[in-house]
Amino acid sequence: MPHQEALTVIARIRDGQVTPLKKMLGSIREHHESWDLVPFAKLARVHFARFMVFDATHDLDSDSLPPQLVLLTNVDAPLSDHLEELATVCADGLDRVFAHCEDYPALNARSPTTRVQFLEQHSCRSDAVHVNRRGRSVEQIRQEESLRSEIDKFLDANDFDAVVPATLKERITAFVRGRSDLAWALRPPEPPALSWRIKEWAHKYFSLLAVLLLSPLILLCLPLFLYLLRRHERRDVPDTSSASAESIRAFRDDEDFWPHNQVVAVGLFKPGLFRESVARVILRMADFATRHIYNRGILSGLNTIHFARWVTFDDGRRLFFTSNYDGSLESYMNDFIDKAAWGLNAIFSNGDGFPRTEFLFCGGITDEKAYKRFLPTRQVQTNVWYSAYPHLTTKNIANNEAIRRGLSERMDDEQTREWLRRFGSGNRLSESGWVARQLDSLPWERICRHCK
Amino acid sequence: MSTLQVKEIQGIVLHGYGSLNHAGFLLLQVQNAALVKVWLGTLPLRTSEQRPEAADLCINIAFTAAGLKKLGLAEDQLGMFAGEFTEGMTGTEHRRRILGDHGESSPEQWRWGGPGNDGVDVLLLCYAGDEEALNRVVERTVGDYESRGLRLIERLGTVKLPDRKEHFGFRDGISQPAIMGFDEEGTPGNMVAAGEFVLGYPNAYGQYTDRPLVRPEQDPLHLLPVAPEAASHHDLGMNGSYLVFRQLSQDVHEFWNYLAQQAPGKFAGDTTQACIALASKMVGRWPSGAPLVNSPQADNPALADDNDFMFVRSGDADGLKCPIGSHVRRSNPRDALDPEPGSDRSIEVGKRHRIIRRGRAYGPPAAASMQPGEIIGKPADNQERGLHFFCFNTHIGRQFEFIQYTWVNSPKFDGLYEDDDPLIGDRGATEQTRGGVFTVQQEPVRKRVTGMPRFVTVRGGGYFFMPGISAVRYLASLK
Ligand code: HEM
Repeated sequence: MPHQEALTVIARIRDGQVTPLKKMLGSIREHHESWDLVPFAKLARVHFARFMVFDATHDLDSDSLPPQLVLLTNVDAPLSDHLEELATVCADGLDRVFAHCEDYPALNARSPTTRVQFLEQHSCRSDAVHVNRRGRSVEQIRQEESLRSEIDKFLDANDFDAVVPATLKERITAFVRGRSDLAWALRPPEPPALSWRIKEWAHKYFSLLAVLLLSPLILLCLPLFLYLLRRHERRDVPDTSSASAESIRAFRDDEDFWPHNQVVAVGLFKPGLFRESVARVILRMADFATRHIYNRGILSGLNTIHFARWVTFDDGRRLFFTSNYDGSLESYMNDFIDKAAWGLNAIFSNGDGFPRTEFLFCGGITDEKAYKRFLPTRQVQTNVWYSAYPHLTTKNIANNEAIRRGLSERMDDEQTREWLRRFGSGNRLSESGWVARQLDSLPWERICRHCK
Repeated sequence: MSTLQVKEIQGIVLHGYGSLNHAGFLLLQVQNAALVKVWLGTLPLRTSEQRPEAADLCINIAFTAAGLKKLGLAEDQLGMFAGEFTEGMTGTEHRRRILGDHGESSPEQWRWGGPGNDGVDVLLLCYAGDEEALNRVVERTVGDYESRGLRLIERLGTVKLPDRKEHFGFRDGISQPAIMGFDEEGTPGNMVAAGEFVLGYPNAYGQYTDRPLVRPEQDPLHLLPVAPEAASHHDLGMNGSYLVFRQLSQDVHEFWNYLAQQAPGKFAGDTTQACIALASKMVGRWPSGAPLVNSPQADNPALADDNDFMFVRSGDADGLKCPIGSHVRRSNPRDALDPEPGSDRSIEVGKRHRIIRRGRAYGPPAAASMQPGEIIGKPADNQERGLHFFCFNTHIGRQFEFIQYTWVNSPKFDGLYEDDDPLIGDRGATEQTRGGVFTVQQEPVRKRVTGMPRFVTVRGGGYFFMPGISAVRYLASLK
């Protein structure tokens, strides 16, 4: 199975083209069923995709920032195949959308090659990407859902009251074996390519080695760091303004058509070398954490996120965060406050206007009122949004995979019972790794009480 | 811990008025604001100081945003109310989506509170021990309406069913949150900060929920208390609460008819027993009220008011006793959800999504005894009956709407697939949100029923604000 790649294309919108472009892109509420101009559904590798427009604005020094069009996709590797597909299958739509941008190949120069070139030249690295489960392809997700649904029908059609678990499992396996369209399920999914796994492994251990080598220096600098941090935290001014009722309402109008929702937040980094360096280090750590610690379905206590990413842009002056998650924005915000405050504080507290934190991890998001007021002031509308499986939650997807894996696993009686409980509902996620579990069980509320 | 100012909080917020079996809910329109304000100034509103006796007559009052505006409340104060309240229950497409108000339940079809209906400004709640006394109190309070500057849009009646049942045949009004600083008794897992239900007190995050404050010069008579966390302001919200009102029509015949088609053969016993077994799985309690968690095999009237249970901690992590999708489990999951099912942390997170329910049934019972055995098999009588559901909370989005969308109507609740609330779910407006499946976890493998129709239809509703006693006086004094 392929690993996942995150494509970010950012292109400057030509003068006077913002309004027509926005008109062309429309809004989620207008075309949540499907948007035919760029038919993402025809691309086999796409999990999620979106177009959005960042309006012209200015930074803290009043330098202006141009209006920009952003295309994001989360896809199965290799990325080159995805670009190729985009440039051919979606050629027409791509041309019509990006024609509003600077540098897009002129009419007579458009070809799959020049389109791919444009996308590559304007693509930008993500600082960190959270993938709910690395290595799970769109195809696998869809196949395993149909497996689950077929087995459910089989279970509905028969009376198993008097059957013992082991026999029932055999009957289910026999049913799957008997269906040529499901026979693939009798083998566990393949892991991602060996070369990719080696690369990830190397990244993990080289990073750890680097930290180890630097640790004396880190320890030495810690007191100074804490001193500076507290000074900044006391002096930084939280933004207490509110978004207008109309803009909040416009965001809501694009939400809750499906079990999935999305959010984008864009912000400027706080000024100064200190915050800049902290932000850089923290984003590095976030990259490490999403790749090596929180890589089994849970991100800092949250298990409802399919894909999320952090991208620094505008020459390092701004950061955007996007997420594709299950449930309403209200429940997502509550999850942030209730379950994931520390990790998100560490990242976002380097953003201008963020609610006041204490020692990087405490305060901040846990101020429910301040956080729920702040978020809409930094939110940006997504115009076009696509999900390849809008009716499946992360829990559904994980449960389906566990059902599939179970078919080819040997189990004792207790394991068989547990596996059988996965039909109809699945809230048992596979466990996070050891480090993630330790982090998530830290008593942050108690720790933070001492930080006040 | 802050002790509540019970003399300032309207009585129905903190008491259920269980001893008063008769109630009438008056939907009123303000015709002449000046007259209404005179009337408001003299209204003998019942406070929360004492639980009512059977002979008491109690009235309480609440307002819509439109009503407050008509009384002359300034725009800047109106803007400080919760957005859900000022936008209103039917105000946006998004809100209809999350509340499940589509199809027959869409606000265009409503009898009151919808865009096509007369605008409701005031909700007057009247309670008494018998029907005659109730009529007397209504007469005495509003008389001919016109002389008070009011117009009656509708008077909604209620009915008291035997054993405190709702129309499907199950005991209701058992589980309520215990309120810190008011309820002395209560298990720690059920003790919720007062600010979740009454404005002006710390909420479950230890914060004061946003609410309208006024500058001292806007309150020259100093009728309002000083805001506890902002001494420079007077507090118009303090001791008030948001009242969520939904008129929910119940198709009792369809409910038991569906069960009679599905349950026999899947569940043990004769048709009646099988139907009751499946229906109880759907509710999460038996008809008597006994919780499935503590009495999984059979009804046990001795446990009718038992509310001392969790899910994971009570040994039911997998829903083998009380199904994951049952109404009771999904409207208050107690310790069952993330971050760590069965832990104090999960219980604390759950406390941020509680409501106080004060609804009353209306319409004639399908069978006088309200025993399911007698309701089953009754022919359809096309009578309008249901629940005047109402609840109190201070953060509508995080409490009522959250329960309704993230738990009740969500086919994905706690790892489910296509199961919305079997009792009251909206069954989904689109393919992606489709519900209508109910899964009963059991050994060796789950059973499920599919194609479940919608049993509950919305007939009306609105978001109201029930001010504290002083705030009502303040409204009466507005120029
Ligand atoms: C016609 C509609 C409804 C019927 C027939 C109904 C019926 C019931 C019954 C029989 C109970 C168990 C008794 C008890 O614990 O008090 C219950 C509990 C409950 N219901 Fe409903 N209900 C309805 C609508 C709603 C709505 C719209 C909500 C909220 C969105 C809701 C929220 C709750 C809550 C929070 C509980 C208590 C759960 C607990 O704490 O264990 N109900 N309901």
